[in-house]
Amino acid sequence: MTEPVVHIANLTIQYPNNVVLNSLSWSIQQGENYVIGGTSGSGKTTLAKAIAGLIPADNAIKLNFDASKSLPAKVVYISNWYQFTNLEGDRNFYYQQRYNHHQGHDTLTVKAELEHFAKKENLDFSAIRQRIQDFGFEDVQSSQLIELSSGEHKKLQLVRGLWTKPQLLIIDEPYTGLDKNARAVLNTWLDELVQEGVQLILITNDTLLPNFINRFAHVVNGQIEIVNSPAAFAKDKKRQKKELPAFLHEIPQTNYETVAEMNNIFIRYGEKVVLKDVSWKVNVGEKWLLQGPNGSGKSTLLSLINGDHPQAYGHDLSLFGNKRGSGESIWDIKQKIGIISPEMHWYFDQNATVWHTIASGFYDSIGWFIDVKYQEQKQIEELMEFFDLTEYKNQNLQTLPLGKQRLAMLARTIVKNPPLLVLDEPCQGLDNDQAKYFNDVVDELAQYGKTLIYVGHYETQLPSCIEHRIVLEKGEVKAIENITVKNKHLESAIV
Amino acid sequence: MANYFNTLPLREQLNQLGVAEFMDSSEFADGVNALKGKKIVIVGAGAQGLNQGLNLRDSGLDVSYALRKEAIEQKRDSWKNATDNNFTVGTYDELIPTADLVINLTPDKQHTAVINAVMPLMKQGATLSYSHGFNIVEEGMQIRKDITVIMVAPKCPGSEVRAEYLRGFGVPTLIAVHPENDPQGKGWAEAKAYCVGTGGHRAGVLKSSFVAEVKSDLMGEQTILCGLLQTGSILSFDKMVEKGIDAGYASKLVQYGVEVITEALKHGGVSGMLDRLSNPAKIKAFELSEELKDIMRPLFQKHQDDIMSGEFSRTMMEDWANGDANLLKWRAETGETAFEKTPAGDVKISEQEYFDNYLLMVAFVRAGVELAFETMVEAGIKPESAYYESLHETPLIANTIARRKLFEMNRVISDTAEYGCYLFDQACKPLLADFMKKVDTDIVGKNYNEGKDGSVDNVKLVQVNEILRNHPVEIVGRKLRKAMTAMKTIKTV
Repeated sequence: MTEPVVHIANLTIQYPNNVVLNSLSWSIQQGENYVIGGTSGSGKTTLAKAIAGLIPADNAIKLNFDASKSLPAKVVYISNWYQFTNLEGDRNFYYQQRYNHHQGHDTLTVKAELEHFAKKENLDFSAIRQRIQDFGFEDVQSSQLIELSSGEHKKLQLVRGLWTKPQLLIIDEPYTGLDKNARAVLNTWLDELVQEGVQLILITNDTLLPNFINRFAHVVNGQIEIVNSPAAFAKDKKRQKKELPAFLHEIPQTNYETVAEMNNIFIRYGEKVVLKDVSWKVNVGEKWLLQGPNGSGKSTLLSLINGDHPQAYGHDLSLFGNKRGSGESIWDIKQKIGIISPEMHWYFDQNATVWHTIASGFYDSIGWFIDVKYQEQKQIEELMEFFDLTEYKNQNLQTLPLGKQRLAMLARTIVKNPPLLVLDEPCQGLDNDQAKYFNDVVDELAQYGKTLIYVGHYETQLPSCIEHRIVLEKGEVKAIENITVKNKHLESAIV
Repeated sequence: MANYFNTLPLREQLNQLGVAEFMDSSEFADGVNALKGKKIVIVGAGAQGLNQGLNLRDSGLDVSYALRKEAIEQKRDSWKNATDNNFTVGTYDELIPTADLVINLTPDKQHTAVINAVMPLMKQGATLSYSHGFNIVEEGMQIRKDITVIMVAPKCPGSEVRAEYLRGFGVPTLIAVHPENDPQGKGWAEAKAYCVGTGGHRAGVLKSSFVAEVKSDLMGEQTILCGLLQTGSILSFDKMVEKGIDAGYASKLVQYGVEVITEALKHGGVSGMLDRLSNPAKIKAFELSEELKDIMRPLFQKHQDDIMSGEFSRTMMEDWANGDANLLKWRAETGETAFEKTPAGDVKISEQEYFDNYLLMVAFVRAGVELAFETMVEAGIKPESAYYESLHETPLIANTIARRKLFEMNRVISDTAEYGCYLFDQACKPLLADFMKKVDTDIVGKNYNEGKDGSVDNVKLVQVNEILRNHPVEIVGRKLRKAMTAMKTIKTV
């Protein structure tokens, strides 16, 4: 019998006050391709990083590569999200930075990054040319890293990792932020790699998986357990739905009829046109879904509404009844909006506690607050209670499992009870139950006179209050339509 | 043009040097109202010009850019910066006559030419703003009497001014009104509104004067900020190589060490920085820095004297007139040092190791910060001003050294700072020759704690701590840092 590819004997990993993996033992034989699922915070990522050698494992893990294979005898781990640096080596980014257009080049272009990687890993560029095309990733090659959307970042990460064809490939949340087409392309690619001799470990609760996945496991109480199918993965405890805090029942005062109105908007970065002749009107109280493939201009469109885009001036654009650039400040605009987006989450203040995070919602700042007033403190406390975050109050946001981080970010979004909610892929990284809970809350909030703009790729993960939809493709409006009950669960080719 | 400071009687010199008041946030309650609806024209669209303009516009103000005809015709970067962000751009002739506030954000050296071109076009009663007072104070530029002259000087690079604003914060800022040019008494109201428009009011604002800003800014940049960091870095690198430490390791320790060490300075002042050391290492660093202070004090005093008398700016302007002959020669020399030419090695150095193995730099930084502060205060500059121009800015310069080493650090700072930096460096190295002879790898290159049991004399340690914590730079620093509640960690390692 051949030796197992991965052999783990009594692996224990603990953080202060928290045993994550408790003398875990596990063997992965040749030909076994795993999906690890289960609850957030159970230790999946820790286990993956330990196998990849990124967390010291004190010799509890042995990897046996096959010398007869032509593939590199190594393990590659693709993290959930990677933080690139600028050309000068630091990571001091802010989420609006991708909308800036300066002559200085702060980060590498996608092409330069890939070429740099190819040189370092001794890879051939022609090997992935077709993949890049399949991913719909052609057009962004001249973009700088900072300009990429969250889905495009994921693609770049995947292209780099899959290109190397290691004998063992571990991907943490491979599908986060990918559109439908990209998910299918990825699965095909992974299947082809398996046929070439790559062995897979995917960490995900997603059910649309590569065909060659043949093993399932989850981590429970610090131990690995093999299960028959994803349906058997441990689920987070069903959340007890609590009553929405009373202050959120108040219908926000509005002395305007349209939240946003734009006509024939063009946004360009040099030669590159990001939004092309976009016209859109959002009336007070409407619930909108904004969709489009990765890189279609969704975030740019939202940034116009949120006061984050420097090119918003000089266009036919009105927000909350005022022409943009007529003396209002971006803080006047933001004060009316509760926003959450993957980018804002990634670039959020690293040192912010859960409490600071929520409190900063009153000032639309990234983790900063001044002395909050008594009423505001009460609202923060009520929301922490509502989302079961009270016990994490003083903990750093980034030390919490992703699901809890998202809830804290959502609390930040609604703490001031704004008239407009802009939720850009709020369920990214959440499992189906978490997403359902989240969207139920959105539905309940939406009852109280709020306007909603919601971005989501997954049809199954949408709030039911949605009544209109705008679809972008390559920066152009492809459709503006009402969503009726009939086509609510539409099988859409676009997303 | 005569040096403005030198035309003043002593009393008035001291008066203007002594303007430094940390402003209460209630002073900014009127927001940007004093500039609301007024036409703001910015001259220059580099890092400060563009980013301040973006902030001011996002604060609801009317901003456009006046550029030289050639810059527009040739579509230079400044033109692209402004037009790509949908600003109105025009020539001086087109835009200056319409401006209620002209903001000059061009490099120091161009000020005279820019002001001479702009001033005749400005309308009666308009306001002119600077972000550095060299042109007014040292060159003695006379501004038309109907024009109000103000200064708003964010104490951070332009990119940070923008980043912090969008995070909902701001950067510490210094504001001033030139007493010779405030005919309508509107100067302070407009300076405050401008400061609010850039977000500076959220991070602490120091009310200053043109004179205090120039004399303290020049002193800080020449001595502790650029001069001493350069001297200390080169001497440390050369010493390590001389003593057989791997050159790649030495290069990395020096390039990044100064950033890691001053990050502690930023958050906890000089005592916070020394608290990162073990007790025996702290006492050693303290003793070394006391010795360094004694050796370097006359040089710091000479720099302050030359700045006060105008001698520094006179000789530098001679070099300007001479096509920057000295500046360019010295710049080229900086590019040729062994440190500059040795790339940082591919070795892992932990955060704590930068302190333990680079005690000498901790001593240099303490000596430099305290000396610069003390010398400025002795010369009549207020502690608040002296703090901003010494301790506060040190981590910013250290950050640029970590990014690109010394040659590029010198290219990034103003030519004025660069010129002063070389003057200091050239005088300081020979002064430290004897001191450096005694230096061994225990304080630079290897862990000072190695082979020691960590014991210290109680009384000695208490004395050292007391001296460190009670230095005036620490007392004023504690107060000012409190206002900068959201100080960000900007690190390359």
